[in-house]
Amino acid sequence: MNTVTTTPSSAGVALHATPPDPAPSVTASGLCVGHGTQTVIDGLDWALLPGQVVGLLGRNGAGKTTLLESLLGLREPTAGTVRLFDQPVATLDDALRARIGYVPQQSDLFEWLTPAQMLGYFKSFYPRWNEAKVEGLLSKWDIARDKRIAELSGGQQQRLAIVRALAHEPDLLVLDEPVASLDPAGRRDFLRELVDQVLNRGTTVVFSTHILSDLERVAFNVAFLSAGRIAVQAPLDELLETTRRLIGPAAEVQALVQAQRMRVIGRTALDAGRLQVLARVADATTPAPQRTAAVHVEPVTLEDLFMGLTQ
Amino acid sequence: MNPVDLFSIATGSSEPIYRQLVEQVRRFVAGGQLRAGEELPSVRELAQALAVNPMTVSKAFGLLEADGLLERRRGLAMVVAPQHRRAQPTAERVELLRPTLERAALEARQLELPAAQALALFKTLLRDAEDDAP
Repeated sequence: MNTVTTTPSSAGVALHATPPDPAPSVTASGLCVGHGTQTVIDGLDWALLPGQVVGLLGRNGAGKTTLLESLLGLREPTAGTVRLFDQPVATLDDALRARIGYVPQQSDLFEWLTPAQMLGYFKSFYPRWNEAKVEGLLSKWDIARDKRIAELSGGQQQRLAIVRALAHEPDLLVLDEPVASLDPAGRRDFLRELVDQVLNRGTTVVFSTHILSDLERVAFNVAFLSAGRIAVQAPLDELLETTRRLIGPAAEVQALVQAQRMRVIGRTALDAGRLQVLARVADATTPAPQRTAAVHVEPVTLEDLFMGLTQ
Repeated sequence: MNPVDLFSIATGSSEPIYRQLVEQVRRFVAGGQLRAGEELPSVRELAQALAVNPMTVSKAFGLLEADGLLERRRGLAMVVAPQHRRAQPTAERVELLRPTLERAALEARQLELPAAQALALFKTLLRDAEDDAP
């Protein structure tokens, strides 16, 4: 196990002893993916840097699953490219493939096998396999080793999928709604495992979830998927500190935004000519504007950001 | 008490988690629960206990170090800086509470609550907090 080293300054803290690859773990450029005639992902550009934990947010049907599957090469793009560890995903070699862990939204586990048989089968594909970790998690998460997978509960199947994805100590972990069937205690266990993974291995993690409180804990960065593109990606701390919600008569709101040189990232027309915008201050050192007689200025939460940025 | 248990975070807040941790350490030092030379939990311990991203804890500790509240022992944990030997005087600690109470006062006014009612609620909450204290 690596030891934790931290630099004195808060910026660019190295949390694992080995320096990470400088190249992005994932790069998508001009990515377009469709279902039939419908375009779901539409010219999307995205990069995930080594060691980043990125939460992917989007409304139902925004294409989160399509995007994650495309990143893994499970879907053919109509245009654009995806590179994993600096190799085109379509021709990824086995050594790099073994560095990826994936928890799909739909369980694709081998239901007629037992967990012990299934994990034994997968073990043979990977050069690295942490048996102690697998055993530890199976016990801790109370997963019956010798019961048929079909007979496990939804939550246990999901935990098993997580065990499988962590067993070979991936450098890139892709999680599509990994906690949907877990109760709060199960979700907390999972988050701790994720924290461990980041602490010990500096794993790059991207995960989608609708449970904002989980995301807030572990995702240092958040990305909002809207209209087939990443509308905003930033550290969540910065987004919360630099974004304000302005509500008031449209003209007055717009005037305040302009006077403060704020960047509008979300806009909702309200009735009676009123306007609500989410806007970021010009730069991190500029203080947010105070409320005026006509315009309310309020801090935002992750939920506000979600509502405003995923329309 | 294990210092890890001092900390708690709230999600769904407009205050980022690292900021919540910074303010908690400030209050514990001001109140004398954490004193000069006392060790804070490591980034690892605190990140695991709270199930938060370790970068968030590092960021909080980094800021507290820059502010002179904490010091980094070489290769070891963060400790409370030597000038914080005892709790701050009551008058100074009360000032730390002012921003929160200003907000509460404003909201009480917006709700047109009588002062006595608002104060009664605060008294009850203070008693509850005492009962919950570990």
